[in-house]
Amino acid sequence: MTISWWTLGIQTVNVVILIWLLGRFFWRPVAAMIEQRRATAQRIVAEAEAKRSEATVALAEIERTRDGLARERETILAEAHEAAERERATRLAEAEKEARALEDAMKATIAKEKQAIDKAWAERASRLAIDIAERLAARLDGPAVRAAFLDWLVKEIRALPTPARQAAAAEGVTLEATSATALVPADQDRYREQIGAALGAHPQIVFKEDRTLIAGLELQGPHFVVSNSWRADLTKILSGLTHDNRA
Amino acid sequence: MTSPLASVALFHLGPVPITAGVVATWVIMAVLVIGSILISRHLSLVPSKTQAFFELIVDTVDGQIRDTMRLEPAPYRAFVGTLFIFIFVANWSSLIPGVEPPTAHIETDAALALLVFIAVVWFGIRASGIRGYLSTFASPNPIMIPLNFIESLTRTFSLLVRLFGNVMSGVFVIGIVLSLAGLLVPIPLMALDLLTGAVQAYIFAILAMVFIAGAIGEAKPIPNTPSQRMPP
Repeated sequence: MTISWWTLGIQTVNVVILIWLLGRFFWRPVAAMIEQRRATAQRIVAEAEAKRSEATVALAEIERTRDGLARERETILAEAHEAAERERATRLAEAEKEARALEDAMKATIAKEKQAIDKAWAERASRLAIDIAERLAARLDGPAVRAAFLDWLVKEIRALPTPARQAAAAEGVTLEATSATALVPADQDRYREQIGAALGAHPQIVFKEDRTLIAGLELQGPHFVVSNSWRADLTKILSGLTHDNRA
Repeated sequence: MTSPLASVALFHLGPVPITAGVVATWVIMAVLVIGSILISRHLSLVPSKTQAFFELIVDTVDGQIRDTMRLEPAPYRAFVGTLFIFIFVANWSSLIPGVEPPTAHIETDAALALLVFIAVVWFGIRASGIRGYLSTFASPNPIMIPLNFIESLTRTFSLLVRLFGNVMSGVFVIGIVLSLAGLLVPIPLMALDLLTGAVQAYIFAILAMVFIAGAIGEAKPIPNTPSQRMPP
C-alpha cells in the first residue's frame, strides 16, 4: 500500500475548501436563521408579556378610575342636591320677600285708593250737601232774610277794630255792597244809613247784585272784606268738611 | 476489481495525479455547496419542511458540540459539522453504482485526520496561547510530555486507521461477495456498510470534538439561557 502525497494534499485542500464553503453557505446562514427566529420569538414573547403587563396595569387603572368615578358621581350628586336645596331655599325666600313686598305695595295702593275714594265720596257728599243747602237757602231769600243779613253785617262791622272802621269810612273811600238780589233805592238808602251808623261815618256805598251769593249782603272796601252771605257760609262749611276729610 | 488499497490516477493535471477519490470528492463538494447555496437563498422565519430538516441538522450538531465539548458550538460548528456531513455523504456514496467512496482511500482519511490534528493545535493555541497549549503536554506532570506528544500523534493516526479500515473493509467485502455471489447477495452487507458509514462519520466527528475539547483544556461554562449564547 502506498500513499499518494499529491492526493493527500489535494484532499486536504478540498476538505478545507469544503469546510469554508459550507460554513459560508450552510452552517452560518442556517444557524443565523435559527438564532433570528429564536430572538424574534423571544422578542414577541417579551412584547406579549409587556403588553400583558400594560393591560394589567391599564385594567387596574380602569378599575381605580371606575371607583373614582363612582365616588365622584356620588359626591357630585350630593353637591348638586345640596346646591339645589340651597337654591330652592334662596328662591323661596326671595319669592316670599317679593310676595310680601308686593302684598305691602298692593295694600298701600288699596289703602291709598280707598282713601282717595273716601275723599272723593266725602267731597261729593259735601258738595251734595252744599247743593241741597244752596237750594234750600235760595228759597229763603225774602225781606226777613235780607233784614237778618243786614243786622249780621252791621254787627260784623261793629266788631271790627276801630282803626279798621275809621279806615273803611275814610273820606274818599267808596265801599261796595253786594247782595244776591237787586235792592230797591229805598232799601239802598236804609242799608246805607245803617252801615254808616255802624262805621261811625257815611262813606259812599255802591250797591251791586251777585246771584251767586244765594242770600246775604257783603261789604268790600279797599282794605277789607266783610263776607256775609250764604255763599260765604257754605264755602266755609265746605272748607271745614274738606279739611276734616283730609285730616 | 480494483483493490481499494490502490490509488489509481484517472488523469493528470501536470504532475498532479487526479484519482477517482478526488473526483468523487469534488462531486460531493459540488453537490453539498450547491445544495447549501440553494438552501441559504430560501431561508425564512417561517420554515418550510426542507428548511426545517436542515435546521434540525444544524441544531443536532450544535447539541452534540454542547454535550461533548461543553462549549458554545459556533466556532466549531462549521469544522465538526462539515467533517460529519462529508464523511457521511462520502461513505454513503457507495450506494451509487460505480462510485467508490473517497473515504475508502487512505489519502482522504489521512487528509481528514491531518485536519483534525491541525484543528486541535489551532483551537488549543487560540484558547490558551502557545504556552498554554504546550503546557497541556506536561499534564499531569512533565514526565508525561513524551507520552502526551506520542498520544497526540497516535490518536490522529487512530482516526485515520479507524475510518479507513471500516470503510475500506466494507467496500472490500462487498466487492469480494459481489464477485463470488449473485447481484442481490451483497445487499445486506451494503446495508450494514451504510450503517457502518453513518456510525463512522459520527464517531469521527465525536472524536474530533473530544480531541479539540481536550486541547482547549478547561471547558468554558455553557450559558444557561439562549440569549447569553454567542451569535453564530
